[in-house]
Amino acid sequence: MVILKLDDLFKDFSGLEVLFGVSLEIIEGECHAIIGPNGAGKSTLFNIITGIYKPTRGRIFFLDKDITSWPAHKIARMGLSRSFQIINNFPRMTVFENVRNAIVSRFQRRFDWTSFLNRSKEITRESDHMVNLLGLTEVRNIPASELSYGMQRKLELALTLARDPVLILLDEPTAGLNAEETRIFVELIKQVTEGKTLVMVEHDMEVVFNLADRITVLNYGEVLATGTPNEIRENEGVKKAYLGRR
Amino acid sequence: MSRYGAFQIGGGGVAAVLLLFPIILPEIKIHLAIEILIFALLAVSFNLLLGYGGMLAFGHAAPFGVGAYAAALSCNHLPGMPLLVTLLIAALSGFVGALFIGFFCVRLKGAYFALITLAFQMFLFAAALKWRSVTRGDDGMGVVRPELYLPGLGSISLMNIHNLYYLTLVLVVVGIVACYLFLRTPLGNAVMCMRENDVRASFLGYDVFLTKLTVFSFAGLLAGLAGGLFVLFQEFVATTAIDVNRSFAALLMTVIGGTGHFLGPVLGAIFYTVFQDWISSLTKHWILFVGILFVIVVMYLEGGLISLLKWERIRVWVSGQKE
Repeated sequence: MVILKLDDLFKDFSGLEVLFGVSLEIIEGECHAIIGPNGAGKSTLFNIITGIYKPTRGRIFFLDKDITSWPAHKIARMGLSRSFQIINNFPRMTVFENVRNAIVSRFQRRFDWTSFLNRSKEITRESDHMVNLLGLTEVRNIPASELSYGMQRKLELALTLARDPVLILLDEPTAGLNAEETRIFVELIKQVTEGKTLVMVEHDMEVVFNLADRITVLNYGEVLATGTPNEIRENEGVKKAYLGRR
Repeated sequence: MSRYGAFQIGGGGVAAVLLLFPIILPEIKIHLAIEILIFALLAVSFNLLLGYGGMLAFGHAAPFGVGAYAAALSCNHLPGMPLLVTLLIAALSGFVGALFIGFFCVRLKGAYFALITLAFQMFLFAAALKWRSVTRGDDGMGVVRPELYLPGLGSISLMNIHNLYYLTLVLVVVGIVACYLFLRTPLGNAVMCMRENDVRASFLGYDVFLTKLTVFSFAGLLAGLAGGLFVLFQEFVATTAIDVNRSFAALLMTVIGGTGHFLGPVLGAIFYTVFQDWISSLTKHWILFVGILFVIVVMYLEGGLISLLKWERIRVWVSGQKE
């Protein structure tokens, strides 16, 4: 089943054209990596899907619903969750509180003003479950801003996953981690996203070929190729774009 | 002595002092105490925006003034209106005023948000000044304090300053406690998410606009109640209730007291009002000294006056030794 369908997306930023007719289908259960050289439009594509930007042309369908130009929070409530390339959490709240913010949202209790948050057993339990699942138990009560970079990457993943999303978009999840940390982090991603649908933007080819079932290569705002890792490896156009060979 | 025990003793002491004030203080000081209570409510509602929602509203006199004028108008034009209904009208007017202003403001951030709220407050100030047929402009309107009717107790005259003190005390405490409880709900938590990172919150499904509008309106409700009580206390309303000095007084009290603690603004209101009362008896340039005080607090006491009262400091002070 196709979960996310991008139909001929165009985007220009007051004259600077970034996307030229990107079409893409994400199938349930797959891990789909989007790669491409710098400036290919990967981040813009993510930002359009998740509602930060509106496309100039084209439509986005998520679970057969047209979500083009929806505000970010409505898209998120549909079950589309994204992580960020840069650290993007609630800095003065503890790790537990950070995760709890997401859990509150999952339980549709965002606007509840008739009960006390810390009295809700299910929210506390689910939050702690998520904290433990991501290996953040030791830093549970530490403010997010005081965490090490690697821990903040984990927290970013926890916030993204805590809402039990239908579709997960990871924007360079291993950005800034060294080789060893990346390896551990990839294992963690594999473990916690098992059976889920994943779209990721990633520069590290080892991560991409390790995780992805299918890969889409973007170049100058166009889809150069889509296929399995092996097909992409053999694709002449991709080689040219990446390595400049003729 | 455990921390919890200390809080119980401290809380009991504060409650006893608040209840006994009218008996131990001369009448002129009761006036000051009522003023402190009203400004404490205003400052707490302001800190709901600044300290918890991360929204620096320069125009917080707007809902205060709207509540004040609403109370005055309903006292003067609707004779026989029960007092508590009048105060309810004041609070709801503050709520509606803030809802309207917030609708245009809360999408903005930082300096833009601050200045647009200020613009709305100045607009309302101009209306209060120029719409003389309703507001009597800068001459202001006198208000006769209606009697408070309580079932079982009969009519209570508020011309007796002790009765007014207790009425104000009860309503202010109710307002402040409501604020405290609000912050412990999931919605209150969502407000803090707005302060911490509203972009991230929206990607978790939080409706940033609606959450901010809600807290802005709720703060307006409390400020409107404070405005209604202020009119009742002063028996008079004029444009000073809605001018820019009022907005900045709320800001100064909150920042001097400390935005990082729930009771910071209360301490700020106490300190600011007493300080102003004292210094203005010495010089008419008292605002200069308030300004100097503000600068000192911002530069050298980041957490405000309340940070001087941290539990650790008290323990060190009481036991005379550091751990």
